[in-house]
Amino acid sequence: MHVKGLAAFAAAVGVGLLSGAAIAQEVKQEKQSVLGNANVPPVTQEQLNAADKNAKDFLLTNGNYAQTRFYPGKQISRDNVRNLHVAWIFQTDVKESLETSPIVVDGVMYVTTSFSHVYALDAKTGQQLWHYAHKMGPITVYCCGPNNRGVQVLGDRVYLATLDSKLMALNAKTGEAVWTTNIADPELGYSETMAPTVVKDKVLIGTNGGEYGIRGFVRAYDAKTGKQLWNFNTIPENSVGVWATKDATGRDMHRNIQAEKDMLAKIGDPYAKLGGGVWQNPSVDLATNRIYLVVGNPSPDLDGSNRPGDNLYTNSMVSLDLDTGKYVCHFQYIAHDVWDLDAVSPTVLVDVKDKGGKTIPGVIHAGKTGHIYVHDRKDCSLIRFSEAMVPQENMWVLPTKEGARMLPGANGGVEWSPIATDPGQALAYAINLHQPMTYHVETSAYPNGKLWLGGAFKVIPGEKQSGNITAVNYNTGKIAWQVNTPEPMIGGILATAGGLVFTGEGNGKFAAYNSSNGKELWSFRAGAGVNAPPSSYMVGGKQYVVVGAGGNTQLDYKRGNNIIAFTLD
Amino acid sequence: MFGKLMIGATALLLLAAQVCAETIEDKVAVCAGCHGADGKPVDKTIPTIWGQQAGYLYIQLRDFKRGDRKSEIMQPIATQFERDDMLAIAEYFSQKPWPDLGQPRAPKDVAAKAITASASVGCPACHLDRFQGDGTVPRLAGMGRDYLAKTIADFRTRARGNNPGMSDLMLATSPDDLAALVEYLAGL
Ligand code: HEC
Ligand code: HEC
Repeated sequence: MHVKGLAAFAAAVGVGLLSGAAIAQEVKQEKQSVLGNANVPPVTQEQLNAADKNAKDFLLTNGNYAQTRFYPGKQISRDNVRNLHVAWIFQTDVKESLETSPIVVDGVMYVTTSFSHVYALDAKTGQQLWHYAHKMGPITVYCCGPNNRGVQVLGDRVYLATLDSKLMALNAKTGEAVWTTNIADPELGYSETMAPTVVKDKVLIGTNGGEYGIRGFVRAYDAKTGKQLWNFNTIPENSVGVWATKDATGRDMHRNIQAEKDMLAKIGDPYAKLGGGVWQNPSVDLATNRIYLVVGNPSPDLDGSNRPGDNLYTNSMVSLDLDTGKYVCHFQYIAHDVWDLDAVSPTVLVDVKDKGGKTIPGVIHAGKTGHIYVHDRKDCSLIRFSEAMVPQENMWVLPTKEGARMLPGANGGVEWSPIATDPGQALAYAINLHQPMTYHVETSAYPNGKLWLGGAFKVIPGEKQSGNITAVNYNTGKIAWQVNTPEPMIGGILATAGGLVFTGEGNGKFAAYNSSNGKELWSFRAGAGVNAPPSSYMVGGKQYVVVGAGGNTQLDYKRGNNIIAFTLD
Repeated sequence: MFGKLMIGATALLLLAAQVCAETIEDKVAVCAGCHGADGKPVDKTIPTIWGQQAGYLYIQLRDFKRGDRKSEIMQPIATQFERDDMLAIAEYFSQKPWPDLGQPRAPKDVAAKAITASASVGCPACHLDRFQGDGTVPRLAGMGRDYLAKTIADFRTRARGNNPGMSDLMLATSPDDLAALVEYLAGL
């Protein structure tokens, strides 16, 4: 970590002796929050409910409770996007992976950085209003970078979940902590990188830890007090399921069901250490009071020998009742996964055509497999899946000691990157990775909260990697257009009523495309990986697009510390 | 072997003095005998603990005490400590400057091999940019070469059994690539 390195250096020399003001400044900022004054009105539940129609603000991580990432403003359009210019650049104090979704409330922007810092900025000028520097506990255990994906605001509180597994409410005006609740014990592999979803005075949060033998959950905490209201274990006590031999697309997964049954008789249900993290926001169906979320991989990732059964509800979409956390329905994409091709990209609620062509409430999810899955919202059942957006080869070959080659690699397809949709065109926009890998298996016992992979997945040196932006018609499953990129893509995408999609690449390119045909209309070089989801908002009568350029830890894309806002001249 | 026994004997002597230790300085006095009074370990197979990540140091002491990480030398030392002691000791050493062991940079071809191997497994996804570590993941940049080679070999045979995930990753990497990584990391 950039700042920490400096801090250690400063400590060594003795901060008092340092004449370099810049270094002292950075040390100070790492250790201390800078309280301030953000003149921002409280956010009401009514405002949040109507976020999908609000072009002034960007109130939720994925734009609105349906998570469409469709921004309704159209001042920036296909005709004028070539005139987009930098409005301002804000440099954070932390030069590590940026995955933040900027939230904008009435001209005030909230962004987060790696290591759980939060900044409030003037959305028009980029000027810092306050900075909350989280005092991290010594024990943090996480898999893919010290990331944070953002905050949400309700009333006059900003809600944050931290890497050391705490849930916090901050004062939206000053950045002061109002309450802090411990979510789970980091020493057992729990951590937080997701933005909370706040709805009806409940703060919804999941957990990371699928690489550490946790037992995953989704919880609701009281927004006023931080008290837990309900808990849903993503792994039920009966995790065995139906012994599915095929995946959601009908391909044989080569399970040895007899061996699994013998193991089950020997060791019993493996639910207690089975993983099943939830680290992306659920979508919220306000009409039916249900939430839809995806559950991640089983632990250990690549070795299924000690976890007989379907490993419910890993690699599944699950629907719960918002008020009680009670199970409503689920759909499992890959039972007994041994490839870490789990379900992570957040669900999206849109109206879809069912098999008979009737329009019904649907829910869609973009998989690491490279398919977009379209479900009936009523019972979670699968209506269709899209053409594969990335090459697939040798599916589902079982991992071996020496390593078995299979495409896609373990990062996908679509990784955690949220998709965007344009309901007017019935298109879903996803960014993809193509990384040829070999899958290796090793067996070991549960290691008390330590890294528990059950093997390794290795990028094959010398094989070409790439990425793409793909638009899929979710009513037909057909690919409408595809733009290839030189490197695997991770971060996120935004669609706008101006007929555009915005997304970034690991090489620093950030670009706007015609959302109907994928034609590139504008681009910018950020100097560090643009691997975060963009947001858009209006202030002073002008539309802005904002994105973090901080690179990515997991794919080792060039790090930076910039929040960049663009507007028309 | 003789050297090892000598170190063990020193440790026991020092330990006797340590039982009634009070302050953090007293508690850590014994460590200097091996890990170095100036942070440079006295023997090449002993790891650098000055400037190491606090979370990682704590977890190692915990694991030595539990017996999850086997070491005839470190286990009796760690057994003395309660959780709070371990956290305090970890914090104490993490605040010290990382010592420069003066190890040479890896030659270009070795570095290139190491970087390819590192990218294949994705070491920086956990050990972070420039292998600085964070939290419970250790800093590797500038760690003693012989210690790195030893502990990686121990991961591979699971003689070091306190992190099966790291063992799996080391087993999936060829000995050749690991040798290059050792050179490269030591010289960072
Ligand atoms: C007699 C020599 C000796 C003394 C005294 C000693 N150590 Fe160690 N220590 C070692 C050796 C040797 C290892 C490496 C063990 C192995 O390879 O498994 C080690 C490993 C460690 C590690 C693991 C570091 C890593 O990078 O994995 C920590 C932490 C540690 N010692 C802390 C301490 C502390 C704290 C003290 C004092 C309270 C101390 N040691 C005293 C010899 C010593
Ligand atoms: C998924 C996360 C992850 C990846 C990937 C990873 N490591 Fe580690 N590594 C760890 C953790 C966690 C530890 C601490 C082990 C423990 O708890 O004792 C560790 C420990 C180590 C140590 C021991 C250091 C010491 O002081 O004893 C070495 C050496 C090491 N890793 C090398 C590597 C190399 C080389 C690679 C890539 C080929 C790699 N690691 C990839 C997580 C990772």
